[in-house]
Amino acid sequence: MNEGKQIAEDSNSPQRGHAAHKQLLKKHRRSHAWVSGFFLIVHLLCILMPLGIIVTWSFTASWPWPELLPQEFSSRGLVELFSPRQGLGLVLGQSVGIALGTALLSTVIATCAARALAFHDFFGKELFRFASVLPFLIPSTVFAMGIQVLFIRAGLANTVLGVILAHTIVSLPYAIAIMGEVTIAAGMRLEQQARVLGASPLRTCLHVQVPQLLPGILSAASMVYIISFSQYFLTLLIGGGAVKTLATVMFPFLTSGDRTIASAYGLVFLLATLVVFFLFELLLKRFANREVSYFEG
Amino acid sequence: MKPLQARRIRQRITPYLLVTPTIILVGVFVYGVVNGVLQGFGIMPFLGRTELTLDYYIEALNRRDLIASLNYSLYISLTSSVLALIGGIVLSAALTRVQASRRRQLLNIQIPLMTAHTIVVLFLVSLFAGSGLFPRLLFWLGVIDDVGVFPSIIGGASGWGIILVYLWKEIPFVAFYTATIMMHVSSRYGEAAETLGASSLRSFFSVTLPLCKGALTKAFLIVFAFSFGAYEVPFLLGPTLPKALPVLAYLEFQNPDILNRSYAMAINGIMALICCIAALVYFLVLQKERKERKTDE
Repeated sequence: MNEGKQIAEDSNSPQRGHAAHKQLLKKHRRSHAWVSGFFLIVHLLCILMPLGIIVTWSFTASWPWPELLPQEFSSRGLVELFSPRQGLGLVLGQSVGIALGTALLSTVIATCAARALAFHDFFGKELFRFASVLPFLIPSTVFAMGIQVLFIRAGLANTVLGVILAHTIVSLPYAIAIMGEVTIAAGMRLEQQARVLGASPLRTCLHVQVPQLLPGILSAASMVYIISFSQYFLTLLIGGGAVKTLATVMFPFLTSGDRTIASAYGLVFLLATLVVFFLFELLLKRFANREVSYFEG
Repeated sequence: MKPLQARRIRQRITPYLLVTPTIILVGVFVYGVVNGVLQGFGIMPFLGRTELTLDYYIEALNRRDLIASLNYSLYISLTSSVLALIGGIVLSAALTRVQASRRRQLLNIQIPLMTAHTIVVLFLVSLFAGSGLFPRLLFWLGVIDDVGVFPSIIGGASGWGIILVYLWKEIPFVAFYTATIMMHVSSRYGEAAETLGASSLRSFFSVTLPLCKGALTKAFLIVFAFSFGAYEVPFLLGPTLPKALPVLAYLEFQNPDILNRSYAMAINGIMALICCIAALVYFLVLQKERKERKTDE
């Protein structure tokens, strides 16, 4: 009551009225912020709790119904996974290789496409913008079954190269979406300055464009890495069982009775994606900030 | 005069060079989809069959289990994408409200974004299978009195498990796709509305949300198309009957009789047709956004 009166009095002078409004706005926001904060924490629990369950199960020896906690722990799951019989090392290496190859290819191509969309006018631009999201909208199952014959004829079926190519196609829309945002945000200002000051195109690219876009490049690359690492159906159809990745090897175990083995696979899978993801994040902190702040500062 | 002309030509060619790799890859994608759809019309040049026939489509549409599968797939993907849209809006708004730092976004959005669907299946099976953690909790609380009373997540005809997996993945995806725009709109127009006296709820529903409509529609379409055409989750968690369309299509695809492929491709054609409608809507949204950009300038 009092507060309202005061604001009414304050608003007699426009400047003070504005300040009062701002204060009211602030109070307003604070009163709602905890609802949002609470929701975010609940959401976070829904995200992190299942991750904890996977870790627990992969070290569990026995967890009979209806115990709420495991009764015995062992490392059987992980030991069995990495026994030479399974050849998991090779599978893991191949998965990482395919995912890194896809990340490189997809990010480079997306960077070019995003640049064209951001700074150039060309014939069929809107059609191109639409075409580049098609792999988002048409299921990759339809694509995979339809393209199989072509890949067999081109000698790409059952090869790592073929799998990388197929993964690149379906991950491209993600990479273009991320690069598009970053490219527009970076703008052409610094690049034009460098050119006006006499830098060659190559030098401009290496010393201005790449550092400026690095945050986007790294986040696009890590996103594509994860998409490629997670592909099951496409890898199965194009790789035809000859190209084994962690996603295809672990699939039959997922709903099998042996939850320790399934969770051990899950754990290795999560680690392989998380490690690379945080590596990219680390790189981002290391390089991106320094270089860009050098230019902006 | 000459170098200037050369530069102009170079500048005109540049965008075409930049988009070429993407066009090639998207071309392969479209070729795969079209080739698959044509096989559904009985055109398989690699088997010497070039005559167009509607038999497979007619046969497919006359099968009762196909209609059941179509309905089931539509039910799963519509339910999960509508719920994901609502959840995504709430998550995005909450992140905007607390002005989430990058670290916060990392946890709430990036972790689910980078977790493979198959891993999410593993989580939820550990939690909600007949002997999972959740039924154990209910047992301890005295709600159920034996193992197996709780409806297991695997194979249930209601598909709640599949929907739950998609929600876990797609709510953060919708937020990922819209949070940046929402933060921008909110700081530019939403706060203006609040300064002018609108309540924060009102400013959200009548200013921020309408201005994010384009991005939200696009996110919805992507999520819908994905959940409609994905194979892994319904294969692992779906009931024996009705099967989701992609599962049914792959089953027919694997049939040793290669002529049976046309049948699989007819099912794919039906999926592609529905996704093309989604793609068309996406295209219309893009067109509208382009017009709005023009009037902004």
